[in-house]
Amino acid sequence: MSTDRDVTGIVRSWLHEDAHEDADRILNLVLDGIDTTPQRRAGWLARRLPPMNTYLKVGLAAAVVVLAGFIGIQLLGGSNVGGPGPSPSASSAEPTPSEPAPSATADTGLPVGSSHVLWDTPGDVGISFTIRAPGWSGDVGGGVLCKSSGCSDPPDGAAMIAFQGDLYVYGDPCQWSSTGPDTPATSVDELVAALAAQASRDASAPVDVTVDGYAGKSITLHVPDDAAYVGGRFSDCDRGEFRSWVRDPVADSARYHQGPGQIDELWILDVGGTLVVIDAGSYALTPAEHLAEVRAIADSATFELP
Amino acid sequence: MDTDLVKLAQNGDKGAFTALAAARADRYLAASHRILRDFSLAEDATQQALLSIWRDLPQLRDPARFDAWSYRLLVRACYAEASETRRWTPNIRLLPADEPMAADELNTVVNRDQLDRGFRRLSLDHRTVVVLHHYLDLPLDQVAEALGIPVGTVASRLHYAMRALRAALDADARSTTRKAAQ
Repeated sequence: MSTDRDVTGIVRSWLHEDAHEDADRILNLVLDGIDTTPQRRAGWLARRLPPMNTYLKVGLAAAVVVLAGFIGIQLLGGSNVGGPGPSPSASSAEPTPSEPAPSATADTGLPVGSSHVLWDTPGDVGISFTIRAPGWSGDVGGGVLCKSSGCSDPPDGAAMIAFQGDLYVYGDPCQWSSTGPDTPATSVDELVAALAAQASRDASAPVDVTVDGYAGKSITLHVPDDAAYVGGRFSDCDRGEFRSWVRDPVADSARYHQGPGQIDELWILDVGGTLVVIDAGSYALTPAEHLAEVRAIADSATFELP
Repeated sequence: MDTDLVKLAQNGDKGAFTALAAARADRYLAASHRILRDFSLAEDATQQALLSIWRDLPQLRDPARFDAWSYRLLVRACYAEASETRRWTPNIRLLPADEPMAADELNTVVNRDQLDRGFRRLSLDHRTVVVLHHYLDLPLDQVAEALGIPVGTVASRLHYAMRALRAALDADARSTTRKAAQ
């Protein structure tokens, strides 16, 4: 009878036998391949977008202060005492050519009315959306659309992400590492039921929906307002992350959340036998018009079967 | 771990990626070969993993975790190869019968053969855990991180796999003892 120690030693020795694996040929193929393989920019899958550059934040804040002060002076008639006061129109705040223009305004982004493929992985359902309002930018091919610089971040961001395929829904999004299921949800009803049963999500009642002719259900979930959140991490949660689901447990392609109070309005569809989830993320402080915009974009979704 | 190289590669520096990949490609191929037990599948998995690493590198949040993250992509590529193709080669190896062998030498060959058979009989999940822990020398928590499963599940899989391999060796030992007695 072998002891555990014997077996471990034998197995380790066997595994370390030189099998003469030489990856030079593979490496050369890969290095040739990267010339035609674009890198995917960091997106929502990576939990959160990189924080805005500090100098940009300071610059924007300063621009707002200067603008507010300038408008206030105009409203009070500071420099126009005795004469007709100009109306505080937007044109009064336009920078002169010698001044740097404030960047990252809400008007930058994809053209209104343009359509974009946000999921183009071969073999998967193609997912496209149409931009319905200014100020939306996207990670084309990455399945993410963001409203201006706030994207999905608290306190008032708005963004949209798409997922597809069978999804493993955690029982507890905070203690997710020990509550992952053995099997994924493979139908609309299974996924809705699993999400509605998730701990601490305050899920809404599911509602029947149809997008681009494909039927499914809509459900709204919440990240608790009082979830501990320090330095960009959910400090009481596993690895500092609050997670709804994971598509591929090995690759760890999970839906991470970006802050306490995040609201997820989900459209869960059966697109030709493939589960598709469109997730519009927002917060209680997200402007109503931004919420309306993300809903309109979600409603514009069209699908192309593989 | 050179995090500067990782950061450069994240920003599209192909030279930095080449350095990272060249330092690891042999190890990736060796690990995937042991997981898949098929060299052709292992080559495909390694190629796919390296391309995925290049493509998704900007999404890596912490450059210091590059190795754990890259093993995750390697394992994913192995699973994809195993599920998409079923080119498992038949595992029939005959021991040479024309030359007498010393008992130790016989035991070594038989051990290797039995281990190979026992290893192939393990599920992909179990083989992967054994390779990550006993070949790549990752501690259990890093195996768990690479696979995205709880540490307890890793320990359970490892325990099951090693028990199965011990049973394979013990069965062979009994067979060898009988042969030696004849």
